[in-house]
Amino acid sequence: MGMRKVAVVGAGMTKFMRRAQETGKELSWQAARMALASCEMTLDDIQAVCLGTAPDAFDSIHLKGEYLSDGAGAWGKPYMRSYVGGGTGVFAPIQGWYHVASGLFDAVLVVCEEKMSSFYPHAQGAFLTIFDHTTERPLKPNLLWIFAMEMNRYMQTYGISKEDIAHVAVKNKRNAADHPCALLGNPDITVEDVLNSELLAWPVNRLDVSPVSDGAVALVMVAEHVAKRVTDKPVWIQGVGWSLDTAYWTNRDLAYPRYVEYAARMAYEMAGIKEPRKEINIVEPYDPFDYKECHHLEGLLLADRGQAPQLAIDGVSLRDGDMPVCPSGGLLGVGNPIAAAGLMKVAEIFWQLRGEAGARQVPGQPKRGLAQAWGDLMQVGTVVIMGTNP
Amino acid sequence: MSLLERYPNAPGAWLGELPITSRYTAGLAGERFLRAIKDDGKIMGSRCDRCGITYVPARQFCERCLDELDEWLDVGTKGEVYTFTLLFENLDGTAREEPEVVAFIRLGDGGLVHKLDEIHLDDLDIGMLVEAVFKPETERQGSILDIAYFRPTSP
Repeated sequence: MGMRKVAVVGAGMTKFMRRAQETGKELSWQAARMALASCEMTLDDIQAVCLGTAPDAFDSIHLKGEYLSDGAGAWGKPYMRSYVGGGTGVFAPIQGWYHVASGLFDAVLVVCEEKMSSFYPHAQGAFLTIFDHTTERPLKPNLLWIFAMEMNRYMQTYGISKEDIAHVAVKNKRNAADHPCALLGNPDITVEDVLNSELLAWPVNRLDVSPVSDGAVALVMVAEHVAKRVTDKPVWIQGVGWSLDTAYWTNRDLAYPRYVEYAARMAYEMAGIKEPRKEINIVEPYDPFDYKECHHLEGLLLADRGQAPQLAIDGVSLRDGDMPVCPSGGLLGVGNPIAAAGLMKVAEIFWQLRGEAGARQVPGQPKRGLAQAWGDLMQVGTVVIMGTNP
Repeated sequence: MSLLERYPNAPGAWLGELPITSRYTAGLAGERFLRAIKDDGKIMGSRCDRCGITYVPARQFCERCLDELDEWLDVGTKGEVYTFTLLFENLDGTAREEPEVVAFIRLGDGGLVHKLDEIHLDDLDIGMLVEAVFKPETERQGSILDIAYFRPTSP
């Protein structure tokens, strides 16, 4: 395609927490500084900055991109915020990728931040105005009950039980117990704990859904000649993809995320992947709800339709299974500061492929991983595929 | 009337509060900066020696090199008026008998936007020296408004 090769060479991440004392700027700075330090680069080496952050309403600062710019290291540099809702955290590194792949810049810093605790009384309020003002808002929808309906449709279509899906929450919260930045890691959680947790909007119980969180993550992305200079373990971007379904919730197939499939197919083609189930070693699909991990694995063509819960039940998607899924602990376990959570998934693939994931390291020296996020009006899929080979 | 026309009875200003509010943290640097005002009546800056900048209000990091700023310093309570404006109308559009004066007061390599008071408008000038007037200690709440206003002073 005439594009240059792009590598991730550094990553940094703050703890994900319920309520950070740090401002969003300070969280962004902590992540940016860690990412630069991890590859022994300085801000002088960075030519442009890409920022990802979700609705302004969370931080309760309009023009949040500009507000966060100093913490992201954007002073005096070309700078741009991208925003595709929950999909932002995997879109921002796509933006970083095309900044470098195009030849425009040799080194960029990608920073994703979210501080959801500012919104009072609850971050859910930030979503009240995303729905259609004429046909939906009079019914006072919120994300929990909108997704509860999607989960119900998914269960009904394939004959899946709540218990089947609860295995995903258990897997991810147990995985997160090994993540030093995690908010909700729990090595002892059981399926019964999930099923017996507070019922919010049937079929969604408290432990089926990820927590509101504050946090930031950053990556350093560079061209090949820079990568060779700064590290002997670059992790290459092999493919990227993104796709949007209709904005009408009522015109979408709720049991199958076709937009994720389109995004995945774009990324697979770029990466030259013909048989994703054989060629992808680790997966970090977006898991704000446990059923969404299943939904997304199916959209990514990594599980047959309606069969994804079985991967968790059978242990295939455990950290030491044949296809580890969310070895980080995912949003369900590490936390869900929206844009930062998506970029955390890309950072996890980076650490896993370098063998630097510590207690979370999946065995067998994985060669290729995939991170995916989902968002906008619940109809965008964003995908990044990374590997140890360019 | 059609929604496409301008509604003649729309209020010129919204009085009171909107139902959505936010609760912010001042941040690591902001907390320390506001505590210095509240507890000590001091305005603090933080210094980046590498870039040669004294940030006021004090920040936790230098935006130019991303170094952590460990060196905090008291920048005093006096600064020059860098620019100002006079507000002749209230937010609801009614006229004020006396204009309110707001100014950007240079402190270190940054400064504060704040109110000016105890001032004759004829004396008001860019470059004039002003000093912070703090609220009584018992009334301070850890807010930028713990500085009641700035007023003219001499070196």
